[in-house]
Amino acid sequence: MSEVRLVASFADEERCVHTIERLREAQVRPQVFSPIPSEKIIDALYERPSFVRSWVLAGGIFGALSGFALTLGTSYEWNLNAGGKPIASIPAYLIIVFELMILCGGIAGVAGFFFTSRMPVTEPLAGYNAHFSADRFGLVVSCDEAESARLEALLKEGGADEVTREPV
Amino acid sequence: MAAAAQTTGVSAPTFTDIDRQVRRVLEPGGLQFWAWICFCAFFICVAGALWTNQVYSGLGVTGLTQPTMWAIYITDFVFWVGIAHSGTLISAILFLFRTRWRTAVYRAAETMTVFAVLTAGLFPIIHLGRPWFFYWLAPYPNQRSLQPDFRSPLVWDFFAISTYLTISSLFLFMGLMPDVANARDAARGWRKTFYSLLSMGWQGTDRQWRNFSMAYLLLAGFAAPLVISVHSVVSWDFAMTQVPGWHSTIFAPYFVAGAIFSGVAMVLTLLIPMRKIMGLEELITPWHLDNLAKVILLTSLIISYSYVCESFIVWYSQDAFELMTFHQRYFGPQGYLFWMMVACNCVIPLLLFSPRVRISTAWLFIIALFVNVGMWLERFVIIEGSLATNTEPSQWRFYHPSVTEIFITVGSFAWFLMLFSLFARFMPIISMTELKEGIQWLREALRDNYRRAA
Repeated sequence: MSEVRLVASFADEERCVHTIERLREAQVRPQVFSPIPSEKIIDALYERPSFVRSWVLAGGIFGALSGFALTLGTSYEWNLNAGGKPIASIPAYLIIVFELMILCGGIAGVAGFFFTSRMPVTEPLAGYNAHFSADRFGLVVSCDEAESARLEALLKEGGADEVTREPV
Repeated sequence: MAAAAQTTGVSAPTFTDIDRQVRRVLEPGGLQFWAWICFCAFFICVAGALWTNQVYSGLGVTGLTQPTMWAIYITDFVFWVGIAHSGTLISAILFLFRTRWRTAVYRAAETMTVFAVLTAGLFPIIHLGRPWFFYWLAPYPNQRSLQPDFRSPLVWDFFAISTYLTISSLFLFMGLMPDVANARDAARGWRKTFYSLLSMGWQGTDRQWRNFSMAYLLLAGFAAPLVISVHSVVSWDFAMTQVPGWHSTIFAPYFVAGAIFSGVAMVLTLLIPMRKIMGLEELITPWHLDNLAKVILLTSLIISYSYVCESFIVWYSQDAFELMTFHQRYFGPQGYLFWMMVACNCVIPLLLFSPRVRISTAWLFIIALFVNVGMWLERFVIIEGSLATNTEPSQWRFYHPSVTEIFITVGSFAWFLMLFSLFARFMPIISMTELKEGIQWLREALRDNYRRAA
């Protein structure tokens, strides 16, 4: 049985979310394109929060530990007595630790975003069109030819302005 | 105007209206734009030539003499770091608070942050007699038996500013991606290639948005304490010393408030001409300017309180050196600078109590300029004045800037304005994504605007 791709375009976020929910009830997982971040769309598609936060946590811990290692390691390696102060001045070093925690956590967050989003991408994804980065919400569903009529009707009932059919 | 709103429907902008207005700015600049860039480039070249001469001849070409070995260059450094801070306040801290009015102005503020930090970062290097050894501040294995002293506020500063520049740049880049993708889809020729590279293949899929939202939120969460830490660290460059006029526990909050104050004033200084020249009045409305003005007013009051508090601490301490330094600051040969600073930072911003002033672009622009001048003077008074009247009266000597220092300072403004202008011409200077996300607030602002105008 041949597969087809249905690309539906919505002018309205609410209708798009409603249609996603109906597709999910029908055990269909659509690909969604959106010009704005939409919590409603994310909530309709995902049950867990993004893994990016684990990247940030790991990066932050790594940065903080690196800060301690750099400052304490350097101090004990060089062992400079500056005016009778302790060789390792933890309160002063906490500033370096804090800055490195932020630096590594931030870089890890951006790296995590690219990794988990499978970016960079060099080619347009199937079903993408320029309106989806500007003023339209897009739903892309891949299905069997036999099932396509039912899903197309569901998309239109959901309020899609336009549904196009592409061969996979 | 009200009639125009009804006929064009502009009081209820759509996603397409926002795209059209922002994309229009990205069209090739005319002769006037390039003349402005050449004007800035001229001053940058003059500053570059004078700096080259300074490197060749030594710091003797500046006005720096004992005891005032920190003056205009360090003033510029602190000023530009301060300017950067409000950008992060508007883009990150107000993002965490979900403040409605930030959407139209945060991109310009965040861009200002990155370029202001880049400008600030030049000054410690310019201030060095042997700038080619600036990397000695970085901790790396070497054979000189030298390592940076991590107890030194100057080393803290190195880490703080480097981290701040990196995180601010990442935050700007992340926010830009969806808008650059939007611009990419409408562009042609080399611009399409340029935007395609910069957008990293962004297509607004649910997976991308889900991860983007989390990464952006956490970056904002990191940037918020970072912004407070960075200017606190800058203030400790002074407060950790024993110099009268510097050695004060009030410095960190005082500097952070001052940074936000000066930075928001700089945002207004940039936004008001920009919205006029680029025709962005429908997107950056008087509502946005009004809210920025309120932030200036609030921080002006905090700064005024800090001045009073600082003086009270000195009086209460009855420390002879502190008392003499402050006496010189208020009534000494350069006392006029202090009173100019008070006028610019404490008195003139009080005009913003008037709602009419807050929505008048001419008044706002003038007040913002005064605040910029006042905050530069504040840093100069603190840095130069305290060193000039230190604990040894026999050493007292007031500093006078040289032509080199004056033109390098002017060059830094030209450098900052040139970078900002080029960015505003080639990149989406208003976040289309966030404006669309809060489009109902923009509609409300426009309706309110037209109602007032009518």
